[in-house]
Amino acid sequence: MGLELKNVSKTFAGKIAVDNISLTLNTPGVYGLLGTNGAGKTTTIRMILGIIKKDSGEITWNGKAVDRKSVNFGYLPEERGVYPKTKIFDQLIYFAELKGMKTDDAKNSINKWAKELKVEEYMDMPAEKLSKGNQQKIQFMTAIIHNPELVVLDEPFSGLDPVNTEILKNIIIDLVRNGKYVIMSAHQMPTIEEFCSDILILNKGKTVLKGNLKEIKETYPASRVRIDTDTKIEKYIQELDLKIENEKNNEYVIKITDEEKAHTLLNNVISNGIKVNKFDIMKPTLNDIFIEKVGE
Amino acid sequence: MKDVITVAKFTIKEMIKRKSFIISTLIILVMIVVGFNIPNFIDSISGGDFSEKLLVVDNDNVFEGQLEALKEADSGYDIEIGKASFDEIKTKIENDEISAAIIIEKQEENVKIRYILEDITMMQGVPEDLMSTFNTLYSNIQISKLGLTQEELESITPNFEFTLEQTDEEEASGNILVMMIMSIILFYAIYFCAYQVSSSITTEKTSKIIETLVTSTSPRTIVLGKTLGIGIVGLIQMIVIVGTAFISAKSFLDPELLNSVLDMSNITPYLAVITIVYFVLGYLIYALLYALTGSTISKPEDIQSANSPVAIFAVISFYLSYFTMMNPTSNLNIFASLFPFSAPFCMPFRVMMGLASVTDVVISIVILLASILIVAQVAIKIYSNAILNYGTKMGFKDILNMYKSKEN
Repeated sequence: MGLELKNVSKTFAGKIAVDNISLTLNTPGVYGLLGTNGAGKTTTIRMILGIIKKDSGEITWNGKAVDRKSVNFGYLPEERGVYPKTKIFDQLIYFAELKGMKTDDAKNSINKWAKELKVEEYMDMPAEKLSKGNQQKIQFMTAIIHNPELVVLDEPFSGLDPVNTEILKNIIIDLVRNGKYVIMSAHQMPTIEEFCSDILILNKGKTVLKGNLKEIKETYPASRVRIDTDTKIEKYIQELDLKIENEKNNEYVIKITDEEKAHTLLNNVISNGIKVNKFDIMKPTLNDIFIEKVGE
Repeated sequence: MKDVITVAKFTIKEMIKRKSFIISTLIILVMIVVGFNIPNFIDSISGGDFSEKLLVVDNDNVFEGQLEALKEADSGYDIEIGKASFDEIKTKIENDEISAAIIIEKQEENVKIRYILEDITMMQGVPEDLMSTFNTLYSNIQISKLGLTQEELESITPNFEFTLEQTDEEEASGNILVMMIMSIILFYAIYFCAYQVSSSITTEKTSKIIETLVTSTSPRTIVLGKTLGIGIVGLIQMIVIVGTAFISAKSFLDPELLNSVLDMSNITPYLAVITIVYFVLGYLIYALLYALTGSTISKPEDIQSANSPVAIFAVISFYLSYFTMMNPTSNLNIFASLFPFSAPFCMPFRVMMGLASVTDVVISIVILLASILIVAQVAIKIYSNAILNYGTKMGFKDILNMYKSKEN
């Protein structure tokens, strides 16, 4: 069940865009597709959706080769676009009908999602009168209006204010709860960490890291320690040859290479009668891992 | 097919709701109705009196009191016989009482006839018809004085029959000028309708909606639906415009005036059907070419340069048929009626002139249909590859590569 990519490659005019990538989504959830600009994410997504043909490899949905017809998918592209002069309702109906919905079902679905996304009052307006954020919500609606099994969201939160981000997040959580498969591509690593259990990092078309996010993190040694004290402790830090990454009101973030040094620091501080309010040995963030993998 | 109709329906709605479309169509219709009413407007302003008032002064009685006969002769002037000096005539012309005057003066050896107008800048000389009217009247007066018998009179009156003939076996019928004007109208109708396809595709691409659209349905469906939708609007628009022109001509124009310009017997239902068929086919071939160029554009400022090859091609094809129409039996005109890109501008007029047999028309339509299928194939393939390309403007080489690469 689900989506499977096996050794998929694509070349454009002699330049390799996607090189031999494989991934599997076998349970409903959010799958993170990461990479720098031009890493091959959009090409991968387009191949999954059957918009462009792969040069080699295999892409299957529930065991069957994907094409436009075999997967009921929804797509929020990174390139945002709406018909500027057309009434929102008319364009939503148009896309719903193209996705095979009957007009009445489409109307019901539009009403339901308009309410949920809080865009009911814009339905009779031409798109050009809407703010960018609201246009984005309309485009998100086109992606999910027909109740797709697979939803591909390319940068779903970019350009949204915190209130709208929250609305969208809740909807994505609901989609997963309702058994949908979601592929999300984003540059905000905290968002990916919040949603995705599995990730794939692409760099120049090649897979540089893939797997369960928690398991990936486990394999990385602790990289920082956070320690909150009531006086300055620079002296003890320098004694151990450690580097301060950040300090604010005696709360230090210190880079470490092994956990042992962190414990030594804690002992030294306490034994000198300094009160410690917080002590936290931290695993690297996805951001750290990402930069390590794709940063040059 | 269902999706093609959905795309066509949406395209039609988008088009007919556009203010620019509604306003331009209304302006054309109003211009037609007003245009055909111009003779009536002039009529009502000048109180139904079209002809110019001409004062004829024969102080020396050269015409021996026979000038009244001028009024009966169909000279196109409203003739008044009277006496007046040059100064009086000047005042009358200035006061718009008359538009012109003729003073007949006997001189020693001949008769001087002065034709007096307010301003002679636009005149090439004394009008021929006026001169011949006076000549005839004077001859008649003199002949009647000779007391000739009926036979003698007939013998000196020329009895010539002038006819116009050609050596070529095929003979064209119809007014060539009218056909040329109609050919220009047909060209613009086809061209602008087809251009809409490019403009619609470019708008979708530059507004980035194409990404959502192409994941909702196939590129083939989009191209076909769009071409169908714009074609339907264009066809209805053309029928409404031609229909309005036809009804306006029939109801507002003097039938005599109408017949002098256009031989209505040339306009048969067969010709109407042929014209519509060629409009549709001509539109299709150019619309698909425009779909191809339209899909290669990423930025609105590139529209002109990307579409110009099609525009140049269309204009050359049009002139090929337009100029050879003056010599409609030439091989070049026959070629123009078969060459798929010029046939839509040429064949309806060969039919109108009675030069094209049904077989000629069928051959031309078959060539055109085959060409449309080929152009459609190429256009859809390139469109499929080009629409998701937002890079710089594509050159001919890129387009060729897209044609060679796998269809998406």
